[in-house]
Amino acid sequence: MDPLKLYGENFSSRLLLGTALYPSPQAMLESIEASRCEIVTLGLRRQNPKDRDGAQIWEAIKGTGCRLLPNTAGCKTVKEAVNLAEMSREIFNTPWIKLEVVGDDYNLQPDPFGLVEAAQELVKRGFKVLPYCTDDLVLCQKLLSVGCEVLMPWGSPIGTGQGLLNKYNLRTLRERLPNIPLIVDAGIGAPSQACEAMEMGFDAVLLNTAVAKAQQPALMAQAFGNAIDAGRAAYSAGLMQKRQTASPSTPVIGQPFWHQQSRQQ
Amino acid sequence: MPQQLSIAIAGAGLVGRLLSWRLLRLGHKVQLFDDGDPQHSRSAAHTAAAMISPLSEVVVSERSIYDMGVSSLAIWPRWLEELNVSAPTPVHYAAPGSLVVAHPADMAELEQFYADLRFHLGADNNARWLERRDLYDMEPDIAGQFDRALYLPDEAYLDNRHLLARLLEEIQALGGACFAHHPVNFMPEATLGEQALEGFDCIFDCRGMGARQSQKDLRGVRGEVLWAQTDEVQLRHPVRLMHPRYKLYIVPKPGNRFIIGATEIESQDRSPVSVQSMLELCSALYTLNPAFAEARILELDANLRPSYWHNLPLIEHERVPSAGAKAQNIVRINGLYRHGYLLAPTLVEDVLARLPDFTHPQTDTV
Repeated sequence: MDPLKLYGENFSSRLLLGTALYPSPQAMLESIEASRCEIVTLGLRRQNPKDRDGAQIWEAIKGTGCRLLPNTAGCKTVKEAVNLAEMSREIFNTPWIKLEVVGDDYNLQPDPFGLVEAAQELVKRGFKVLPYCTDDLVLCQKLLSVGCEVLMPWGSPIGTGQGLLNKYNLRTLRERLPNIPLIVDAGIGAPSQACEAMEMGFDAVLLNTAVAKAQQPALMAQAFGNAIDAGRAAYSAGLMQKRQTASPSTPVIGQPFWHQQSRQQ
Repeated sequence: MPQQLSIAIAGAGLVGRLLSWRLLRLGHKVQLFDDGDPQHSRSAAHTAAAMISPLSEVVVSERSIYDMGVSSLAIWPRWLEELNVSAPTPVHYAAPGSLVVAHPADMAELEQFYADLRFHLGADNNARWLERRDLYDMEPDIAGQFDRALYLPDEAYLDNRHLLARLLEEIQALGGACFAHHPVNFMPEATLGEQALEGFDCIFDCRGMGARQSQKDLRGVRGEVLWAQTDEVQLRHPVRLMHPRYKLYIVPKPGNRFIIGATEIESQDRSPVSVQSMLELCSALYTLNPAFAEARILELDANLRPSYWHNLPLIEHERVPSAGAKAQNIVRINGLYRHGYLLAPTLVEDVLARLPDFTHPQTDTV
């Protein structure tokens, strides 16, 4: 067993799936099942949560048995994010919150300053905060210093499918924060990219668009589940170092020399 | 003529009206009940932009929606011709095809749209790429903003509010009885007030969101639209704007009016349009042509699309024991989601074809 440990809870899947953008709720539920994920995110901002107007879809998502990770997607100020987190805690009876504070409207890039401020406030109020952040080491250290125990750096901006854009930064985070659960969140477009993040030693991957907007979402969800398993297994098994020169896996000694000659002809 | 049937229809939205009208034309007796005032409809059909766009919609759904939509594209002109014969002003209907555009920075969205069309339709995909010059010929007022566009031939749109009013006139002209503020309940027996609905060969439940109390798997998907008016911009085609986060459309309507829609939010919320949505709708309009900046906003509207979990429509027949003399034949038609005008004619024709099954006294379920 190699569980993912977040805020004292163990999960066997290392994929976290978003619940937006699917062609239908049924396609979403089938994708969740096919992915074998155990944590799903959901956003309330636009559903008029104070009147519980999204309750029908929330109940269906709850019915999957996955742990719910409400998010503050769409919030641009600390106050908005904190208010929505409070409402989410009340509705879903969970202190877990995926904290998003949008700094730029076009690429939905996190606002690092607002993020730290909101995280500090939410930790003070008893939340278990999983902040969606950029891959900046100092920002990540600040988030840890205000009490976050899990970090979710981006691979690239939300919905772009660009994969791991700044591998140097991501590697630095992994090396410098070896004991902190790190989840690559956003920008993952292909299972190979998710696999790569896992091979680099990231603890999990969170994604949404790549599955939801696939022509066959459930099939893509399954592909991501498999890729993430493969990447984790590869990381645990220990990847070989790349080498400059080819090294034959069978010894040259004993190989008939005429074989070499026939190749040269 | 085959046997004359006596039919009750609950819900005077698009399906209820079309079905009433077609049944009356076949010589049947129809009573149409609505819980509101059909003259001031609050149905999704009143809010909708009323495009008949099988290609555009297959991208966000599946092949069956396309097939039903193509069939509706053949039915609408025929039906409108019949409706317009005795109309003082004809209901506007046009099938010029539609345009799909994206700003140069979002070109991947347009490429994705095309890839999805190919996936769903294969050889039936007749969408065509337009370069700037072709776009200029086809829709000059937006050509300045876009390098490329997709042209989806045959897609149509109609003036839905005029259509809804015209259908009501025609139903009354053909002798249909229309009852405002008469909610029919299905629990599951159909009742009006305390009384079971009696004496009908078939009772159709076309209530859309009105059926939510009795159908737990029916949900509303909020949509918001904006109406604007200007004579500075002319559009001949419905235009869809692809953007990483919102996919919106602008549909020209008679009288230099345009409808811009629609947001899609998983919520039962029917409160007025939000500022966020208003900003998105206005931005879409403005980026098509900056001259829209001086357009006048005529109306903002928010409504719910009646939808099942798979976002596909359902026709369900049930024989329900009744307190009255005989069991009731109840047929539910619902879940047209964002595809009301695209699917309604095909579904109504399907229902008419199955009428003998629905009204046969021996039938249990179909």
